[in-house]
Amino acid sequence: MTFPVFLAALAFAWPLLGAAVVMSLNTPRSREVAVWMAGGGCVLAAAVFLFPATGAAATGWDDDPVQRAGRVMLAFGLLLTVLEANTIPNRFLRGLPHISTALAGLACVTPDPIVGLGILEASLAYGVFVVSRPAGQAMAGWALLRTGSVGMFLVLAGLLLPAGQAASGLLLACGIVMLAGLTPFGQPWREENDTLLFLPFAGAAILLSMRLRPHGGDAFDTALIAAGLASVWLTACAGRSHDGLRMFRTFPSALALIAVGTKADVAALLFLCGWCLAGGSRSERSWAARTLACFPPGAPFVGCLLLLSMMSDWSWVFTVLTLAGILCAVVRAVPVQGEGHAVWPQDAAGRVACVVLVVTGFLVPLAMMLGAF
Amino acid sequence: MTLAAILAPLLALCVVARGIGFLSALGVVSAIAMLVDGTDPLHQAGAAFALLFAIGPVWFLSYYQQDNLPERSGPAVPFLALGLMVVLMLAGSRPGVMAFPSGLCIVLAGLVAVTCRQAMVWQWAGLLTCVEGVLLSGIIQKHLMVVGVTVLAGVLIAVLGGMCVHRVLPRLAVVRASGRRQGSKRKKGKKEPGSALGAADAAPHPDYVPKPPRYDGADTP
Repeated sequence: MTFPVFLAALAFAWPLLGAAVVMSLNTPRSREVAVWMAGGGCVLAAAVFLFPATGAAATGWDDDPVQRAGRVMLAFGLLLTVLEANTIPNRFLRGLPHISTALAGLACVTPDPIVGLGILEASLAYGVFVVSRPAGQAMAGWALLRTGSVGMFLVLAGLLLPAGQAASGLLLACGIVMLAGLTPFGQPWREENDTLLFLPFAGAAILLSMRLRPHGGDAFDTALIAAGLASVWLTACAGRSHDGLRMFRTFPSALALIAVGTKADVAALLFLCGWCLAGGSRSERSWAARTLACFPPGAPFVGCLLLLSMMSDWSWVFTVLTLAGILCAVVRAVPVQGEGHAVWPQDAAGRVACVVLVVTGFLVPLAMMLGAF
Repeated sequence: MTLAAILAPLLALCVVARGIGFLSALGVVSAIAMLVDGTDPLHQAGAAFALLFAIGPVWFLSYYQQDNLPERSGPAVPFLALGLMVVLMLAGSRPGVMAFPSGLCIVLAGLVAVTCRQAMVWQWAGLLTCVEGVLLSGIIQKHLMVVGVTVLAGVLIAVLGGMCVHRVLPRLAVVRASGRRQGSKRKKGKKEPGSALGAADAAPHPDYVPKPPRYDGADTP
């Protein structure tokens, strides 16, 4: 076994090890250990990105640099989740973000995206089991499982149709939109569970959608762009109402799906970075809302520039629609309340997120210019 | 194309229209369709799982009292499923070749049941119908990965759905026992306080508890 292969295997096993350690420890010490384990996971994911296992592609395991970079984003999302979390007394809930991140990473790297779907379903089932354990939560858990399973069956149905057919592409796109939880089409996620389970789950769905593109064909791309545009425009129309703020949570994933449809994978990666570090329930904070609204500096801003440049080569109409939708959403839907109007967050987790977002916004285009992507 | 493969989508439509009662028949017909297509180990395993996912949940549900809440979705839901099946057939057909994607039609019917019906048991039946459809389609196309993933999904959906049913619906044994207890008390002439609510009053909604106070910062991430 060569060193990069060992590194890759360790990077996948690390969050599971972290979950086992965190769940076995007593409550007061668990948060500190969780932060260290998640930090180690970030270092390992970055190391795997820098030293890829060259023989992996030959054995069928996916070795795409965008997927590897996506797993780095998932690892940083886990770090931020455990940094933000206070001490959680429930063992299962404590280990949930580690397990869901591990399974999400594994789902993105499997030789066949169908196997990745199965792993995502297992991750969802475990998460539903954990979040629906308290009394009175059975139906909420069932709603999560139902919507996620509908997405998975749509994708499976699309994969069973012949490749390149319009029906196949449409079914695949509908399934991915459901799995990514794009409002108003997706899951009824709530604040209590979205950072623990939903962030890595939806991130993995976005990464998986890149691998489904060869099967879906043009219909898949067009449907993803249409769904993303619909979500962006509905977010803009909903404004700052309660529904509007709920829709703004998935603003980066809508842009990421548009980027996947436009074949701008690096832009999708940058939006994924925004999703993992500032999406979900974090989006109500001032710094996160500014980042997600593609304000410079930050990964989503650079992603937005890349997306528009790629899109303008493909279709001017869609470019204008996307740009107008983003501008309308920025003007009408960015939440202004929260922790004052602070651009620089007061808490350690927010500062780490801002630094990672800015550094990613610089490094990813640089790596693209150097030919890493 | 076999008779069983044609009958299976019709039974899936019956699941959409009438509920989980038709799931067992759908499972049996799907299993027959798989076995008619071939008798190699993959087909046999697929047929066994199709029977398991169809008969197991219905058998499990027989121990629980069904809730008779009125369904808000209208009578047009089965026709929506039928329309989607027709659209799928038209989208998949090529000039001169008439294809009937039986498994995918079942999946569409299941998806309609899941999204349009409000009762949890009906949604569970819809998801299990989807499992049957993908399983049938995967077996006929000999797609091993799809079959494996569908079996995994079927097991997870059956187990988690069963757990949800166990928490949400009252058990028949409990309801009958409380009914007998109340009947014997009435015979003795004792009046049960609150007995106007009926027999199910003794077996309250197992998942219904007063909402706990909102977790403080130490409890939520």
